[in-house]
Amino acid sequence: MTSASVTPQAVLDRSDELRRGLDGSFRDYMVASLYERAGELAGRSVREHGSGKWDFDQRIDRILTSRWLGLPVMLLLLGAVFWVTILGANIPSQMLANAFFAVEAAAASWFESVGAPWWLTGLVWHGIFRGLAWVVSVMLPPMAIFFPVFTILEDLGYLPRVAFNLDWLFRKAGAHGKQALTMAMGFGCNAAGVTSTRIIDSPRERLLAILTNNFVPCNGRFPTLIMLAVIFVAAAFPPAVAALAAAASVVAVVLLGVCFTLGVSWALSRSLLSGEASAFTLEMPPYRRPSVLRILYTSLIDRTIFVLGRAMLTAAPAGALIWILANTQAGGVTLAERSIALLEPLGTAIGLDGVILLAYVIAIPANEIVVPTMLMCYLGGAMMMDITTYEQIREVLVGQHGWTLLTAVNLMLFSLLHNPCATTILTIWKETRSARWTALGALMPLGLAFLVCLATAQAVRLLPL
Amino acid sequence: MSALGLGMAAALLAALVAAPKFGLVARWKRHRAYRAKSRSEDALKHILAWQHRSKLATLESLAGTTGLRPAAVLRVVAGLQTAGWVESGAGGIALTASGERRALQVVRAHRLWERHLSDDANMPMGKLHQAAERAEHSLSREEVARLDAHLGHPQHDPHGDPIPRPDGTISALEAVSLNEWPVGRPALIAHLEDEPQAVFRRILLANLRPMQVVNVAESEPNHLVIETDGGRHRIERSVAANIHVREVRPQDALPSERTRLADLAQGASGEVAGLSPDCQGLSRRRLLDLGLTPGTQVEVALDNTFGDPRAFRVRGTTVALRRQQAEQVLIRPIRSPDGAEAAP
Repeated sequence: MTSASVTPQAVLDRSDELRRGLDGSFRDYMVASLYERAGELAGRSVREHGSGKWDFDQRIDRILTSRWLGLPVMLLLLGAVFWVTILGANIPSQMLANAFFAVEAAAASWFESVGAPWWLTGLVWHGIFRGLAWVVSVMLPPMAIFFPVFTILEDLGYLPRVAFNLDWLFRKAGAHGKQALTMAMGFGCNAAGVTSTRIIDSPRERLLAILTNNFVPCNGRFPTLIMLAVIFVAAAFPPAVAALAAAASVVAVVLLGVCFTLGVSWALSRSLLSGEASAFTLEMPPYRRPSVLRILYTSLIDRTIFVLGRAMLTAAPAGALIWILANTQAGGVTLAERSIALLEPLGTAIGLDGVILLAYVIAIPANEIVVPTMLMCYLGGAMMMDITTYEQIREVLVGQHGWTLLTAVNLMLFSLLHNPCATTILTIWKETRSARWTALGALMPLGLAFLVCLATAQAVRLLPL
Repeated sequence: MSALGLGMAAALLAALVAAPKFGLVARWKRHRAYRAKSRSEDALKHILAWQHRSKLATLESLAGTTGLRPAAVLRVVAGLQTAGWVESGAGGIALTASGERRALQVVRAHRLWERHLSDDANMPMGKLHQAAERAEHSLSREEVARLDAHLGHPQHDPHGDPIPRPDGTISALEAVSLNEWPVGRPALIAHLEDEPQAVFRRILLANLRPMQVVNVAESEPNHLVIETDGGRHRIERSVAANIHVREVRPQDALPSERTRLADLAQGASGEVAGLSPDCQGLSRRRLLDLGLTPGTQVEVALDNTFGDPRAFRVRGTTVALRRQQAEQVLIRPIRSPDGAEAAP
């Protein structure tokens, strides 16, 4: 071959040909030589100042991942996050509710005084505004506390240690160790949790993580859990330890969610998604000092405002819908009463009631509005001014609507297990591009929620308790 | 009103049956086409396999492997003849040149798919064959080419069989059966035959893998005793016939003074000697990318509640590996946990 006949294409073709003849080991040499060269450069230009930082990290890691202390410390930290949230959120919630309902009352009477039609006043102030007010006062305080505290743990570098501690369980369930990280993201928002499963390379394990992310209660569901924990659990304890007991019960619910995640992953990897655990490597970054500004920014702007904004977007139409249902009559009965009566038998069978199921139907776009919707249905036309403390809510639920401990427990279970919100379902579709997996991701939790609640309700009713 | 309802029901039914893509008719046609394709491809593979053993396939042998009725076998062979892929003569059925290329394409799809399942999906050896038997018929030629590039143009499937090249040529397997190997000379496993399954399961039970070094310790009329780094195994000669070995070349040899990263005690450290040869594809790349290249120092850093995974200190970072991954890193021990240096 003369030099004149060598064209770029010929070179490419020849290299392609030679490439096919190479066995796989050339990669090993490539990586080894890259590392060798990098090590040479680093040795020439990077100076190390002793190993103090590494020793310190190592000492912390020895505790946080130790054989006996690793898991208890993890539970304690999780419990502490909830405890701080419950302790701190109560009073601001009441203050916000008082303020909002004062505005509602004043604005409604002003509307009446200028002669606005009754339905306009009702729709705008007792419907849309009331929905928004409930969502903001029930959600904003817990979120504004939970997100920054959780972000501190994240920023410190603690989450990879959690994944490290729990990986064995996930391996046994046929899942990926990084699923623990995607679950941690799910605490904030399940849609974000589903998106974060991109860190898992293996498609099978990624699907497992996507389908089970819903079993981590997201921030939209925490207010429900916290409210129930405060009303039903904390009330049974002396005030000094009430918040601790409430936090412990929320931790228990979260642990139950972890059990469901593992159980469902296990079952799926032995049926629909059968296969072996793929290779797993996890880098454990060094601990770092949390940056206050970054934490405030991520937790308040990126997370709190984002989640709250989404909740408000769905709360406004939901508030309007509830008002219309409660004020439109067909045959002398309001539509709300009709739908509640329709759902009542199903609700009762699974230890809940028609109002709760109606709230869940209305709250499909966003779980955040379950509690507000429920309260608006229960309270009907009552003035909100009177109902702002947890004791008053308890009074209404237990005294007037026949709630029992079973209702509370089943509502906690239902809230933990039921179908993901519309945003999450949409995200599942975006991530999987498959109608079938999306349907499974939505219906499997719903079915499970009904089954579990049915089982507890029937068990409690059959047993002489 | 009821007429309208009936009309709508009839329209719905018609759509269900005759819709161009999802209708029952279309589905049935697709199913038929797939079945015909997989039958004729299975027949091509069978004829190729017999040709490799210098025999001609017959209608009876075809019926035996495919489990089809004689009439169906005749139809399949007639189809292959029309396509110009086979010629039937007095002694049996032979592949034409184009038929052999076609058959090798199917084999290529099969072996690449096995490589993919093993490297990317971590599927255990015993399950690969079944899964690839299904996939080989539905992969288009472009998909096979993409898979080949994605896997980095591998030359052997996970059992050590050579993968046919895109032009339909294949390199011969240079190996002999373990039965013919002399006692006392180290041999490298080049290939494990995955059919019949019962024999293959027996091979997997002894934990034998391609690229592993074995030593025949005893040779008896009915069985062999072999030694590997996993221990001593007694292997029947009928099983040994399905294990093919070749000479150990200098580049295959791994240092003898070694252990596995998974077996290092807490606080112990060592130097990476290399990665286990049966660790390929994605998992090999991942381990290399983490810096576990030969000569790198590794120290056991963290244990956890369940003892698995464990974290290791590599090149100034802490990396957690499951036991399965840590078993694939071969180590020369340097320091025991109490700080004593290992003997050189």
